[in-house]
Amino acid sequence: VSVIVLLIAAGGFVAGGFLIAFLWAVGSGQYDDTTTPPVRMLLDDAERPQPTRHSKDDA
Amino acid sequence: VFAVIASAGLDGVYRCATGRPASQRTAHELEPDRFAVLDDADVQRRFIDASGSEETVATFTLPALHCASCVWLLERLYRVDAGIVRSEVDLLRRTIRVAYSPARTTLRRVAEALASVGYDPLVDPERSAGGVPRARRRLYLKIGVAGFAFGNVMLFSIPRYANGAPLEPQFQRLFDALNLALAVPVLVFSASDYFRTACRALRARTMLLDVPVALGLAALFGRSVADILSGRGEGFLDSFAGLVFFLLIGRLFQQKAFEGMAFDRTVRSFLPLTVGIEAGGAIQRTPLDEVRPGDVLVLRPGEVVPADSVLRDAAATLDYAFVSGESAPRALRAGEEAPAGGRIVGQAVRLQVIRPVSHSRLAELWTRPVFARTKPHWITTVSSRFAWHFTVGAIGLALAGAVLWWPDAAMSLQVATAVLIVACPCALTLAAPVALGTAMGQLGRFGCYLKQPDVVLDLARVSTVAFDKTGTLTLGGGDSVVRHDLPPEHWDAVRRLAAESVHPISRAIAASAPVVAGAVSDVHEQTGLGITGFVNGERVVLGRSSFVGRETGRVLPDRDDHTWAAVGPDAPRPIVVRPAERRRMASAISDLRRRYRICLLSGDAPRDARRWSRLFGGQVRFRLSPDTKLDAVRARQAGGERVLMVGDGLNDAGALAAAEVGFAVSDDTACLVPACDGVIRGDRLPALAGVLSYARLARRVITIAFAVSVAYNAIGIALALAGRLTPLATAILMPVSSLTVIGLSAGLMRFGARRVAS
Repeated sequence: VSVIVLLIAAGGFVAGGFLIAFLWAVGSGQYDDTTTPPVRMLLDDAERPQPTRHSKDDA
Repeated sequence: VFAVIASAGLDGVYRCATGRPASQRTAHELEPDRFAVLDDADVQRRFIDASGSEETVATFTLPALHCASCVWLLERLYRVDAGIVRSEVDLLRRTIRVAYSPARTTLRRVAEALASVGYDPLVDPERSAGGVPRARRRLYLKIGVAGFAFGNVMLFSIPRYANGAPLEPQFQRLFDALNLALAVPVLVFSASDYFRTACRALRARTMLLDVPVALGLAALFGRSVADILSGRGEGFLDSFAGLVFFLLIGRLFQQKAFEGMAFDRTVRSFLPLTVGIEAGGAIQRTPLDEVRPGDVLVLRPGEVVPADSVLRDAAATLDYAFVSGESAPRALRAGEEAPAGGRIVGQAVRLQVIRPVSHSRLAELWTRPVFARTKPHWITTVSSRFAWHFTVGAIGLALAGAVLWWPDAAMSLQVATAVLIVACPCALTLAAPVALGTAMGQLGRFGCYLKQPDVVLDLARVSTVAFDKTGTLTLGGGDSVVRHDLPPEHWDAVRRLAAESVHPISRAIAASAPVVAGAVSDVHEQTGLGITGFVNGERVVLGRSSFVGRETGRVLPDRDDHTWAAVGPDAPRPIVVRPAERRRMASAISDLRRRYRICLLSGDAPRDARRWSRLFGGQVRFRLSPDTKLDAVRARQAGGERVLMVGDGLNDAGALAAAEVGFAVSDDTACLVPACDGVIRGDRLPALAGVLSYARLARRVITIAFAVSVAYNAIGIALALAGRLTPLATAILMPVSSLTVIGLSAGLMRFGARRVAS
């Protein structure tokens, strides 16, 4: 039956790990802005989307 | 603007931009040294978050920021100024964090780069260094801790519930110890706000709903600890952790609604940061704080008079629409007083300051006591009264329970605490924040930004809607030509002549189509009357009926919206010029009339009076000063009406503040809002009736949620009085009631928002 104590310890260890991960994520600012990233990921990364044929990239 | 964007290879923005005007002249081009103040080290400190030799990080607020293409453009800012390393946009708070290399560029150049692509940064002298809101991070941490504890305590409690009887002593003790260890951080960290507010409220002898909540939480925790230590049972720690978790979720709804609502600004953001002062023949840009009475200001067209001054030049034209609501500019002669708040029209003028900036009549208008808002929100009044009843009721019922079971002392204590536990108005405290927070967020998405979620309920109770005219029902931009019957070539000539004048009617005529080239000579203007001149060799007369009549030797009828024009020897023809009206306003007003009393309070001269009077059913008043507008609102309130005032800002600021709800109308998000409860986007104004019906929906939803949670409380109290409130019953009842209330409030408000938007 003492295996239960072991299980609880293991479970608590895993759960605690996730709690710490969450606290770290909040602390590092990952929850500060939840609006812009979903918009940003929809934008093209292409340096110059569809340049006209004869223009060269001047960036 | 286009030139800058195209040369930086950023023309992709026009591919994704939908709502943005393709080109607009920025104030930056008009005022080359507008950001000069950013060279000042003191001012810089307000914008810079972190500075280093390699890289400096600064945060700007960009009021124009609003869509995905803004993000695309602004995060490629490094192409405009090579010294910029990277930039990161926060769409919700309308801010941008720019990291730049101080060796290669300056803060001022960064601001100019922003302005050059059409996003003027807000250079507000009173802002403080913008950090990331700490409160929100803390709330997330609290929710995380409470949620973690909730899940684990529940896990350790289930064996006991499933078993139906106490477990083997060694396990029960282990589980109890673990539960206690998990619950303590919830009490000390996650729930700390509730105890703190409750204490503060009691010390101030006021009542808030947080008081019974804190009482319930204390009863839950205390009873659980007592039960565990005495070995009588396993306590209610799972309910306790769950309750705190759900309460904090409700807070999150509330806090989310507040974000992106940083539009509250002071009179200072309306005034320029620096002004040109004449010193020894040269013009020197000086920070506004250093302007003293006696200084001679040189103001260019478009600039705002920052302090009460006296005109030094022979004549000047100033536009006081913002202060008085009168759209026709005022002509001043040498020596006349120019109060602060006027915008220079025409040519640059020299003014001598007579009163310090902070003592101008404009500043006084803002600092008047009416703006120090003391009017309580309806919900605050109601919920504090309700909290009294609730607390007294809960304590009374607990005592009654104790008396009921009296001979059995242990049982009567148990029943009393059980009543306090279950009578915790947790579901009630969730209903209003969730419903109002959701409503505020949805309205914000729609283009109607409230300062506080509580305003929603005030809106729901409004009985009268009062409108300002200039800038509200009509567009602030000025007049537009309604019709004329001049032949095209004459019309071109008239417009060419009109381009020579700064009078708003001339400007409207000139702007009605692109002005064609033409030789203009011998122009004479009589301010306020009319203008004459030769266009391509033909004499053109444009102006009031009396002026044109005199110039052409005819008698012309005098109508207030008629301007007359005569080209060559032809008879004068009328041009009808009216303030440009917002589209669909007439139908919106008749929509409102079906349910509300409406009235028009205008500061303008009664132009078009009959039309407005018909639209408003006779409830129109013209030529009101800011003070008489305020009185008009007060008079209606004295008659028992609850007023929603819709105005454009300063000249009705008193009325906005005095009304139950004051809405400022704004065509750009960078508007100035003195003492209003909300800002509504100009193009959304026709949907005002929809906004109001959504507010009424919020009120109904809260009533429903209240009813539901009271029903749960009644069941719980009945169980408690019967001495049957077991930990298992609480563990089911509490989360279920909290979840129904959150789901009901948020769900119904979201569903209702879809109807308003369509």
